[in-house]
Amino acid sequence: MCDARPLRHAGDMVSHTAPSSEPQFAFELDGLRREFSGKVAVDDVSLRVPHGSFYGLVGPNGAGKTTALSMAVGLLRPSAGTAYVQGIDVWRDPIGAKRRLGVLPDGLALPERLTGGELLTYWGRFRGLDASAVASRTEELLRVLELDEAERLGTLVGEYSTGMRKKIGLATALLHSPSVLVLDEPYEAVDPVSARVLTSILRRFTATGGSIVISSHVMSLVETLCDRVAIIAAGSVLADGTLDEVRAGGTLEDRFVELVGSTDLSDEELSWIGS
Amino acid sequence: MDRQLISLKFAMLRHTSAGMRPFGWAVGGVLVAATWAAVVFAAGDEVRSEVTMLLLAAWGVGAALGPVLTSGSGVLKPDYFALLPIERRVIGRGLLVSAFVGVASGYVLLATLATAVHAVWLSPATLLVAAVGAPLTWVLVITASRLVYGLLGAAMRSRFGVEIAAIQFGLMFAVMFTGWMVVQVAVQSVPALLGSGLPNGPITAVLGAFPTSWPVLAIESAAAGEWGVAALLLLALAAVDAVVVISGIALLSPRATTPSRGGRGRARSAGLVAGGGILPRTQLGAVIGKEMRQWTRDPWRSLEIRSGVWTGIAIGFFAWVSGIYAGISAFAGLIVAFMLGLAACNLYGQDGTAVWQNVVGQDKTSVRSDVRGRQWATILVFVPQAILISAIFLLLSQQFWALPTVLAAMPAVFGAASGAAVLVSALGVSPGVDPRMRVGPNDANGNISLHVWVVMVLIAVGVAPTGAAIVLSFASGLPWIVTVLVGFANGWLAAWLLGRVTIAWLTDRMPDVYSRIRYGRIFRAGDQRGILAWIERTTLRGEQRMQEQRQKAREERVKATS
Repeated sequence: MCDARPLRHAGDMVSHTAPSSEPQFAFELDGLRREFSGKVAVDDVSLRVPHGSFYGLVGPNGAGKTTALSMAVGLLRPSAGTAYVQGIDVWRDPIGAKRRLGVLPDGLALPERLTGGELLTYWGRFRGLDASAVASRTEELLRVLELDEAERLGTLVGEYSTGMRKKIGLATALLHSPSVLVLDEPYEAVDPVSARVLTSILRRFTATGGSIVISSHVMSLVETLCDRVAIIAAGSVLADGTLDEVRAGGTLEDRFVELVGSTDLSDEELSWIGS
Repeated sequence: MDRQLISLKFAMLRHTSAGMRPFGWAVGGVLVAATWAAVVFAAGDEVRSEVTMLLLAAWGVGAALGPVLTSGSGVLKPDYFALLPIERRVIGRGLLVSAFVGVASGYVLLATLATAVHAVWLSPATLLVAAVGAPLTWVLVITASRLVYGLLGAAMRSRFGVEIAAIQFGLMFAVMFTGWMVVQVAVQSVPALLGSGLPNGPITAVLGAFPTSWPVLAIESAAAGEWGVAALLLLALAAVDAVVVISGIALLSPRATTPSRGGRGRARSAGLVAGGGILPRTQLGAVIGKEMRQWTRDPWRSLEIRSGVWTGIAIGFFAWVSGIYAGISAFAGLIVAFMLGLAACNLYGQDGTAVWQNVVGQDKTSVRSDVRGRQWATILVFVPQAILISAIFLLLSQQFWALPTVLAAMPAVFGAASGAAVLVSALGVSPGVDPRMRVGPNDANGNISLHVWVVMVLIAVGVAPTGAAIVLSFASGLPWIVTVLVGFANGWLAAWLLGRVTIAWLTDRMPDVYSRIRYGRIFRAGDQRGILAWIERTTLRGEQRMQEQRQKAREERVKATS
């Protein structure tokens, strides 16, 4: 399962409470579990993301993808289990782990009353980057992600469209040059042109040894982008491995439907539509 | 259509929590009773005429501004119906009609009927004029109220809307804190008003020009035998009604709008984004800059600041006009400093789920920078306003003896308030409407009743050394410069100490702050002892209880309607 690629930031390596002495994986979810009022939302989820891997987490709405990723990046305390970033325990050494992580959560607020440029400037300086590096990266990210016109117009993040929010969120995740990116639904509402830009950014990221985990419920997208994939439903991992292992000769969608099940529409149902 | 819209309005009211509505109804009832009582007990025809006109004008202004203060639940908005295949004017008319159905509207009608008292006193025959005039005034007041709400609906996101809401909150706080001064002034001035009417001057002429006064003038003309003049006045009022009704329907008709691109058309903070800015280019500077922008640009936070400032102004003004308590008005700026503590007692709740950035961006110094940055930003935002208000009221009241006390107390109160606010913010995160969903400044806190008390106690304890020094300087001649120095040292120490406690508390608990906002609970294991943990638990329980009550009320409403 381990795809031994060279470490991206070998100098950053910190030996910590890792599952093994040598961190084989860039990112690892280890037995994560979360209950809400007795109801299990995430049930013993373990995933291993090798260095340089583009990992897709697919599942229906409410499968527990966001909850699992929230625990893995240190946002939500797990009932059991933990996560490791390059071998560093996210919950025991949050500072060490979070330095290496870039996160794009789904559906959360940002400082809404800042412009994209102000937000990136705040975020870069908050993360301890040098002011000149912050300025040049901000300018570049706004330009590449086509948010520069909104910046010129003084548009606040709160006034951004959903796609623009995703892009500025991605920019905040990338700004401090992390080793592992965890992106929750990064392509949602992003227009096709921006999606191409996004894809080339992410591909370049993995080409330099960085690892990415994305969650999505768009099978075709995951099939195009990811080399590894996990199918999650009702809080449990139903299948994981390389893309070819998981889809087992068919398409990812077929495999997904086979594992998760589907609701078929009979001829009688909704027959009034279009009548 | 009208009937459906009225049912929809009531359905919406049923499905939102009552909140302050019962209180509003009680206040409205008292105001109607007070209006009738004032008209009945006014001494003489001339005084009654002035009092009635003054009260009707007050009802008009009150009705115009009142709905702005409430969160507008039950107010149907044109956008809801934009996609329906119904003629737009029909929707506009229906929306306007729906504004006339409700308790508040009933109160306005009852208040306008107080003109009947004037009619009976002058000549019972003029009751006919009152019977026509009162509904016309009612139509004018309610339509104008809906018109103002509609116009302000757009302005609520602007400074103007924030300012109007802030004045109302300021007055409310001022009445809460220093209501006794208002009562005293009222006790002194109401008998004078009811006994001898308004002071001579242009005010009566101005009042007469108000359309709400025309029924009163019509009754008087009719009583004097000039029925033609009375009819003309009523016709004029009907014409004004027609104008506001037509404008109201036009405003309330849904319109095809072009989507706005957002923004203001030119860049903001270009220097900062290019790597500059006046603040230090550090983590701390980043937080101060972000927070100051949020304070001035977020409608919720702007409202908090402006309410604080208007509370200071209102208290200063009450004290100044009371004459007896003019000395208190010199301390109006201190009220603004004190209000910082209340305005900023839920900073993390105001950030909403954006707090995730503090969690994933955590490093060795991030919590310290965040807490200190927030403290600095609140102080930097409030201090200039407090100084300005102090200067204005010191000059107005001429109470210059108070200057050294103000100079000593100001830094102490600011320091303690900024420390108390950030500590209570960390302990009692109360998520309001998430920033992405906020539309107006009233989309505010959840249950912050305990927060307010803790902040007030902390400020009171925090400024005790300065208080002692001020007493000493009066009692035993401690030099004023020493007292002022004590004030500065006290303020700095209180801010530092309370901030230090906050930093220690938050260092391992940032995920819990996020949990409270995102999930409404804390998942931290283990028994937590101590006063801070108690405040955390109690505020959380208060929040959860409020949610449960809302849920229960919702379920009951659903059960009642099904």
